[in-house]
Amino acid sequence: MYFIQHIESITHQNSFQKENIWDELKPLTAENQLISPDYKNYIPVAALRRLSTILRMGITASKACQEKVPNEFDSISVGTALGCLTDTEKFLVTINTVSGDVLSPTAFIQSTHNTISGQISLDLKNHAYNMTHTQNALSFEVALKDGLLCIDEGKKSVLVGAADEAIPFLERLRGSLILTHLPFTSGATFAVLSGEKGNSIAFVQACEVYFSTKSQETLVTLINQFLDANNCSSGDLDLILEARSDFRFLAKNHISFTDYTGFYQSASAFALHMANDWLIGNADDKRILIVNNLESNKLGLTLINRNEVEA
Amino acid sequence: MSDLKENLKAQIIEQLNLEDLTPADIQDDAPLFGDQGLGLDSIDALEFIVLLDSNYGIKISDPNEGKEIFQSVNTLADYISKHQ
Repeated sequence: MYFIQHIESITHQNSFQKENIWDELKPLTAENQLISPDYKNYIPVAALRRLSTILRMGITASKACQEKVPNEFDSISVGTALGCLTDTEKFLVTINTVSGDVLSPTAFIQSTHNTISGQISLDLKNHAYNMTHTQNALSFEVALKDGLLCIDEGKKSVLVGAADEAIPFLERLRGSLILTHLPFTSGATFAVLSGEKGNSIAFVQACEVYFSTKSQETLVTLINQFLDANNCSSGDLDLILEARSDFRFLAKNHISFTDYTGFYQSASAFALHMANDWLIGNADDKRILIVNNLESNKLGLTLINRNEVEA
Repeated sequence: MSDLKENLKAQIIEQLNLEDLTPADIQDDAPLFGDQGLGLDSIDALEFIVLLDSNYGIKISDPNEGKEIFQSVNTLADYISKHQ
């Protein structure tokens, strides 16, 4: 079992360093801005000046996690769909417009997807396994599976998370990228998982990803097969957290997590935070399924159980 | 020369994202690198090379030269005035 020891999110919700994020969660509107903590409390000023939003969020959420657990992380697995967009855009624009022969190094250095996990390691002075996964809307689930495999290998304390940032240019891609009613948003969620129960409330029983899915009937079959493989059925689910609203009929409670996250492709990481804290606040509920169908041809499934439930 | 130094200070602040500083905070002879001055680092040294190239058309072919040139605003301004 993979116990959730601690989890932190920086999003457009008031979600950072909260006992239970549900105390203040509200459906988002386009007017909701990213709620940033005072990054100077976590990142030296000299370093902060160079860091874009996605790096500030990732490092700060990770450091807040590290402060809550006694041991250094034995692995760091990060998912990001679009990576460091601010620096990527800055670098590409500079290529097109700069008059000299040399380009500013900072944007180039920080434009790669693995800058997030690299900067987290540098900042924490952590020399353990470090990996970045980019699989569009399933980036977080793949990073999570990596973390679960690390625990299977015997690692004691693993950091898994995801981050993505919005830039104005994304509006030009709205038609091809997004569930149309959602605002573009930014967010980072990082969680510490361990094979030991500790002070956790819940554990990740299983996570699975499916690429190139087709019809909704196929998705229902995949969900039922996933639940069956994990010794439960849809009748056992107390809540479904879904990117869309296609599977309301599968459980007694259903929430579209994108109503609370807006659109960034690794938003399902925040759904993990929502699931963990839902179980903190709803003592009778035991099982939550996260259905990440943000992209119509991909499916991520993550089953979260209260600790008392037998896996 | 004093106009050049003031321009340089503004360009340094912009290029290096020194948001909390104003040109008046940077002394002409204060070290730019190390704990005694602005505390700039090796990436900033690369940014200086870009700044000289893009703003003044000066190319530094030998990176070792940078140690002397980038000591302070005074040394930077002196180098620019001699090589522009």
